[in-house]
Amino acid sequence: MGQTASHDIRAGGLTATEHRLANGLRVVLSEDHLTPVAAVCLWYDVGSRNETEGRTGLAHLFEHLMFQGSAQVHGNGHFELVQGAGGSLNGTTSFERTNYFETMPAHQLELALWLEADRMGSLLAALDEESLQNQRDVVKNERRQRYDNVPYGTAFERLVAFAYPAGHPYHHTPIGSMVDLDAATLEDARAFFRTNYAPNNAVLSVVGDIDPEQTLAWVERYFGSIPRGTGKVPPRDGTLPETIGAELREEIREEVPARALMAAYRLPHDGTRDCDAADLAVTVLGSGMSSRLYNRLVRRDRTAISADFGMLRLVGAPSLGWLDIKAASGAEFAAIEGAVDDELTRLGADGPSSEEMERAQAKLEREWLDRLGTVAGRADELCRYAVLFGDPQLAFAAIGKILDVTAGEVRAVAAARLRPDNRAVLEYEPVTATNEADQAGEDRDDQEEAGQ
Amino acid sequence: MSDPLVTMDLHPQPGAGQLKPWEFPVPEHGSLASGLALQRCHRPGQQVMAIEICMDAPLDAEPDGLDGIATIMVHALEEGCGPYTAEEFAAELERCGATVGSRVDYTGARISMEVPASRLERALGLLAEALRAPTFAASEVDRLVRNRLDEIPHELASPPRRAAKQLSAELFPSSSRMSRPREGTEDTVARIDAAGVRAFYDAHLRPGTATAVIVGDLAGIDLDRMLADTLGSWTSPLAPTAPAQTVTADQASRFVIVDRPGAVQTQLLVGRTGPDRRDPVWPALVVGTYCLGGTLTSRLDRVLREEKGYTYGVRAFAQVLRSPAMAAADGAAGTSLLAISGAVDTASTAPALADMHSVLRTLAAEGLTDAERDLAVQNLVLVAPLRYETAAAVAGTLADQVEQHLPDDYQAELYKRLAATTTGAATDAVVAAFPPDGLVTVLVGDAAEIRAPVEALGIADVTVVAN
Repeated sequence: MGQTASHDIRAGGLTATEHRLANGLRVVLSEDHLTPVAAVCLWYDVGSRNETEGRTGLAHLFEHLMFQGSAQVHGNGHFELVQGAGGSLNGTTSFERTNYFETMPAHQLELALWLEADRMGSLLAALDEESLQNQRDVVKNERRQRYDNVPYGTAFERLVAFAYPAGHPYHHTPIGSMVDLDAATLEDARAFFRTNYAPNNAVLSVVGDIDPEQTLAWVERYFGSIPRGTGKVPPRDGTLPETIGAELREEIREEVPARALMAAYRLPHDGTRDCDAADLAVTVLGSGMSSRLYNRLVRRDRTAISADFGMLRLVGAPSLGWLDIKAASGAEFAAIEGAVDDELTRLGADGPSSEEMERAQAKLEREWLDRLGTVAGRADELCRYAVLFGDPQLAFAAIGKILDVTAGEVRAVAAARLRPDNRAVLEYEPVTATNEADQAGEDRDDQEEAGQ
Repeated sequence: MSDPLVTMDLHPQPGAGQLKPWEFPVPEHGSLASGLALQRCHRPGQQVMAIEICMDAPLDAEPDGLDGIATIMVHALEEGCGPYTAEEFAAELERCGATVGSRVDYTGARISMEVPASRLERALGLLAEALRAPTFAASEVDRLVRNRLDEIPHELASPPRRAAKQLSAELFPSSSRMSRPREGTEDTVARIDAAGVRAFYDAHLRPGTATAVIVGDLAGIDLDRMLADTLGSWTSPLAPTAPAQTVTADQASRFVIVDRPGAVQTQLLVGRTGPDRRDPVWPALVVGTYCLGGTLTSRLDRVLREEKGYTYGVRAFAQVLRSPAMAAADGAAGTSLLAISGAVDTASTAPALADMHSVLRTLAAEGLTDAERDLAVQNLVLVAPLRYETAAAVAGTLADQVEQHLPDDYQAELYKRLAATTTGAATDAVVAAFPPDGLVTVLVGDAAEIRAPVEALGIADVTVVAN
């Protein structure tokens, strides 16, 4: 059948098997018969980092076009067939990948595989100018709704542009610019498909109430004849110094409801032990209602109404730490920033307490339980580890690695990375003039979706 | 293949396999000596347990002039209790890997908790302390009040939330709690203090009028003992239930623009009121509303998004606001909000409204097709096992059943009633729910740009209010 079965690995009761078709499509299967549902997830190894100058937003715009029909699926047939079968579906685009997923009642699994294969092998038979024009307008409205018409909505875009310099493949976010969206042509879309949408540039996972042998036979039947692609262009080199080197800062005067202090930090690459340590460091500092920054700024100083610190894991460039503090009325930047500096410096000097480590690890463990607890979440994680790290089994080992990190390692990464010379700062100062330009979201999504 | 753009062997669309049976679970009942009602549901394999506490402390129960006190009270339960300070309590919960959320609505107050099964008992113990012995320290209540006052400008700056606030004010008379923001206004929140919060807690938070819902993998867990040892410590005498207010609504067709100069999009919220889930029309309303605006292949998005590109998507929905107990209703029926919501670019505002009205008029004139009805019913029914994959999803619906005074088998029966809904019934329900000439339309956008084109539509009167 062209695939070679490989090893099973058990982790927390979860298992997965790996297979490969002759055309290079990697397939990951994981059985779970608790609920009669099956998740299909397909990751293409292409994201906004693969875009070229003047064509930002193309990967995401293209993702929308994947729902506009293929040789045997007409118009919005993909949505209609999946939803009519009782399934749910979507696609999302981020810096490093594009994913498509259908979660189906178990008896409709074959339909989802057929649909994904049809568009992988025949999208160009249906792709036309009318679809492109329409989805271009839809995506521009997505950009307005999620970023441009939302207070602080362009903060993420600004921070990313700050942390990754001009010309860097991560300098722009997946949503792209209005000018580039307008400039995209049908030929751009066709070339993007031919270059990136090939079986040997994708991983398919199927998780849930499945018969693995039957599932593999279907995968072979529907995907097996799609030819291997040859045009893959690797993304531009994302190598950067580990730290920014000097603090960057911008004051933004906009019609926002309150002062806000935001900052981006370069953090270790995903897949490293230092990255897990950094995850714990930002969790100790700014996740939940017992974090250092929440206790300090919201509970004690009362200079802020929210204080969040999160991390966007990246493989091809330094990961991004994102600090987001909304000020209480009357609070000054200097007081907030001084307190933030105190807390970051203290963590770098003394490290977290054993209680803080226990809480942060419990919190991250819980997040993993939630993600692996649904068939769709598990399918996505298996694809993630297969595409970005070459081994889906790592999905089951990930939480163990986080629980293995020591307080000393958290201290060390805080000292090395959570420093003023490794951050880009945005100070939002509200203005009341009604003719100010764009307003800006608290939306921290790093990815764009095809449907709401 | 003859088409050079097709590089694969094409296969005919496969048929479905054998449908596997699945039913929404019916909970098992119990109660504690304190009077706290229990509903539990064993979901094999669900290691993250979900707990919902439903309490008879609805927004209607708030004292005059203190809108928002119920929400401040439920949030304050977490800000210190029993032996714990606010910081210690948050730390203990997070040590369990627990997450907690609380909110108050017209149907009651609710605390929702999720926690890994291995730490269930510890988390239930913390929850019990919060319910039994909240500290309500003046300093903590004051902080919540000030935080809330600072959050209000953020909410008003959010187009969807600003639109929702305006629609409530338009639909309901100012005497009705439903006309005003759930979490209060600057004026009412500023009046809230620790003494008031404690008085509200004393008057309305009683185990005898509360229900705890516990869902997850209960194998090997002695839940009765665990609950008796934890939530069982929350005791207090029964309190009278607050009578539900009668709801009236002004549905006269009109446009209200909330002026936001320079906005690049207009947020649309088009609505009126409708029945609750106990009304026999509910299943047909659900099917019809899906056909109108449930997904991007529904009637509205087929035009507004997939043909015209005016929007990232608009959705139609029916959301129960209140569903009082039959016995206590005293003629006061249940109420839902029926609405269409979305955002369109500023220049497309009037064209989008014209198309929306055209879709509604066509629907009223020609009705739904059998194909649309079939697609909707198949989705709504067959999606159930997926929708209820997690313990939290099951617990949430069980808690909704409690709050809306629905029978235990309501959700399970609903699927049968959806499957039996005819095209004609779904048409009648959705046409009655969204009459083109009986909808209140709120537009949060740039009045200088959109007012004249919207007036020129000639659909209804247009007024402009300040942001």
